[in-house]
Amino acid sequence: MFRWVDNTAELELEIEASTKEGVFADALAALAELLATEPEVQLRAGHEREGRPSVTRRVSAEAEDRPALLAAWMEELVFLAETQGFEPLAVQALELGPRSAKATVTGRLGRPPPLVKAVTYHRLSFAPAGDGYRATVVLDV
Amino acid sequence: MSEFPIKLVDGQLWEIPASARAGMRVPARLFADRELLAAIEQDRSLEQLANVATLPGIVEAALAMPDIHQGYGFPVGGVAATEPPEGVVSPGGVGYDINCGVRLLALPIGVEDLGDRRKPLVHELSRQVPVGTGGKGSRQGIRGANLDRVLELGPRALLEDLGIGSEEDLDLTESGGCLEGAVPGSVSARAKERGNDQIGTLGSGNHFLELQRVDRVYDEAAANAYRLREGQVTILIHSGSRGLGHQVCTDFVKRMDSQLAHYRIELPDRQLSCAPVSSPDGQAYLAAMSAAANFAWANRAAIASRARGAVQAVLGARVARGTRQVYDVAHNVAKLERHRPGGDSEERELCVHRKGATRAFPPGHPELPEVYRAVGQPVFIPGSMGTASFVLAGRERSLEVSFGTTCHGAGRRLSRTAVRKQVEGGALRQRLEQQGIAVRALSSRGLAEEAPEAYKDVERVVEVVQAAGLAAKVVRLRPIGVIKG
Repeated sequence: MFRWVDNTAELELEIEASTKEGVFADALAALAELLATEPEVQLRAGHEREGRPSVTRRVSAEAEDRPALLAAWMEELVFLAETQGFEPLAVQALELGPRSAKATVTGRLGRPPPLVKAVTYHRLSFAPAGDGYRATVVLDV
Repeated sequence: MSEFPIKLVDGQLWEIPASARAGMRVPARLFADRELLAAIEQDRSLEQLANVATLPGIVEAALAMPDIHQGYGFPVGGVAATEPPEGVVSPGGVGYDINCGVRLLALPIGVEDLGDRRKPLVHELSRQVPVGTGGKGSRQGIRGANLDRVLELGPRALLEDLGIGSEEDLDLTESGGCLEGAVPGSVSARAKERGNDQIGTLGSGNHFLELQRVDRVYDEAAANAYRLREGQVTILIHSGSRGLGHQVCTDFVKRMDSQLAHYRIELPDRQLSCAPVSSPDGQAYLAAMSAAANFAWANRAAIASRARGAVQAVLGARVARGTRQVYDVAHNVAKLERHRPGGDSEERELCVHRKGATRAFPPGHPELPEVYRAVGQPVFIPGSMGTASFVLAGRERSLEVSFGTTCHGAGRRLSRTAVRKQVEGGALRQRLEQQGIAVRALSSRGLAEEAPEAYKDVERVVEVVQAAGLAAKVVRLRPIGVIKG
């Protein structure tokens, strides 16, 4: 489960999940909201008329600790959106280590808006909470 | 809500003492009036400013302009000067959009000459200046640019290789559009891949292109020097270093975060990760940041060229040829500059971080182009869609109290979520059209998020910096067309 927390200028994401893998999947779902091609652009590009097939990408990330790994995972998705027009939809076969994450991600190719500039380290957290995990990530937009 | 002790020390200048929190090396100072301060205290701005005051080697004070608002690491509207050898450079103190900035073009016609060609011009500007959505085949940067030359030389590379811009444009750009010490090899392959096809694209979020008219002149002498007159049509371009700059910052926040223990630096926020200016990490960052800054100036030069193309298509070759660049300023940058902190008799070299703040050098400063040296550096303060923007001139006191810096905009007041609850994109478009402002936007959602309601009162912000002696009003600009990323 994820929610957007009020933040004056940026976008602050709060995630709660029962597993570490769930946090990564929810982070992808949150980004999918932001990276979806705008309806107006889809209309101009003929997406509605032509439809868009599902495609997959291998995504891998490495970092020195768990919060930074979550940031690196999200950065990879932003990078793919910007350079390939890849809009993520769902994560499959996530292999999660303490300092690495590898997965196959399904999505579509489109014209994602250049809204997300970066995934920041500001108040970045990812830690056990209750029976699961809680994470906070601030995106620069 | 901020709980920091803050007291008025002089006119518009407020101070949080260094004793307010453990780790602060210097006080935190803020330029504001009481109403702006009350708004500023509603979010984490002052907490972030106090965090900046903990940076190793920071001198005099962590400073904030009246348009300060909560950001990440540094607040937006923050200024920090650090002194080598202990002094650090912080990529988060510049931000992801390295050299996000503003360029103003002045057309050789008045709004009365534009007549019914206003909407066609806005349409043509939106057609010729792409937002730059993601994906191969949809990217719309200028063709033929040599990226490494752009990183090294900025817009000069576009002028020499592609005939884009002019020598006068370069002269009328902060730092001549080129930071020395830029090393293309210090920019990662990943950053280059992101930026490779983005030169000449606007970007999203708060980036925009605005068609305006000069609706009031406050300082005739400065307006004459800037060659601006009442009723004149202008184009304001707000964009930055696009994905290339974002990636440079991402790379170096990560790299410096991993080296903090090595440099024995402890910070209250990982986003403030930093390294001594003189260290290999600090030097590598400055080389890459300078390259990204040069890229941003080239980007705005290419956007300006495309805007002139739109002017030619709608208003003809004579008007396009007569469309001049007034100036181009950077908002997010770190520069090595010479200042006299605390009124010292000797100048010292400092690393001045400006994060959502504008250099505002006064009359007589040797770094200003000769044509503006008598009146001071032009500074552009965009308001928001539907409100005014301002052209200011840098003033002497900026060198005494703010390392030659002033504000950069109105400053956000409401979050994107909050403003979307109040404003619907379609209704906003209609309201702006009724005010005589033609609108083109990538999406209705993005339009709503940048509604005038989301921002502070730009006139109040400008009054504060004028009263504080940082910069003075020259002309006011009113929008007549907006293109939103």
